[in-house]
Amino acid sequence: MLNPITLLSLTVPLAVGILLGYLLRNRKRIKLDKVSLAVIIILIFSLGFSIGSNNELLNAMPRVGFNALIISVLTILFSIAFVKAGKRMVKA
Amino acid sequence: MIKYVLAALALGAAAGYLNNNFLNAIPNALVSDQLFNLSLIVLLFVFGVSFGLDKDAMDKMKRTGLKILAFPLFVALGSLSAGLVGGLILRINVAGAMAISAGYGWYTLSGPLIGQLFGAELGTLGFAANFLRELLTITAIPLMVKLDKYAPVASGGATTMDTTLPVIMRYCGDDMLIAAFSNGLILTLIAPFTIIAIASLI
Repeated sequence: MLNPITLLSLTVPLAVGILLGYLLRNRKRIKLDKVSLAVIIILIFSLGFSIGSNNELLNAMPRVGFNALIISVLTILFSIAFVKAGKRMVKA
Repeated sequence: MIKYVLAALALGAAAGYLNNNFLNAIPNALVSDQLFNLSLIVLLFVFGVSFGLDKDAMDKMKRTGLKILAFPLFVALGSLSAGLVGGLILRINVAGAMAISAGYGWYTLSGPLIGQLFGAELGTLGFAANFLRELLTITAIPLMVKLDKYAPVASGGATTMDTTLPVIMRYCGDDMLIAAFSNGLILTLIAPFTIIAIASLI
């Protein structure tokens, strides 16, 4: 995932989309909500698929699940707390 | 919206499990990689267009400006502190726990990399903990957004440029596109370096 081609393959469509949206700004309203919801569902389905087909991950869960849950919950809570505090620091 | 997301996630997991263990109807990578990447690219394009169209979103983002680049730094510091505390509470290798939390939710990287640096046991834990970070973020975004607009971005870590981005956009608004994407991108770039740095310090 880290290779430059993957990073480009995500950044380029985003940048092209923003530019196109900006150029189309004065045209009549374009409804994208329905399109994006459908694609989101496909994306999340394929994410679920990659989880379900990953036996290594599924087998590890009963053994390390508790510790993993503690670490992940702590990581989430600390990240939120640090961002909240940091927001005040940079006045964003 | 979150109901559809969770249903799609569960259906996908069931389909993946059945296909992998029983049916072998299609190669796993066809859905896990190709369909995933294709839908992500389409989504980023669509999000880009709706962001470009939305004058308010751009104005809001301009007001925050370059300050959004500080957020991933706070997420990284928060994650590392959580690893330190978690390691002490669970009485496991503290540096290992910090390396795990420095995966920022990117489990396909942190699992194998931590396994290589800290041994298979912590590698497995790193894999599971970072996977749960992604899963919990997707599930809890509707709750988190009530706490703080940036809470889902903080929680998602490296995943806010791909898997958690669509749910964040739905619940936090168009103006979070750049903040979320750049947060994920920066944390994705620094994750391997933070993990390796922690391993080489001990």
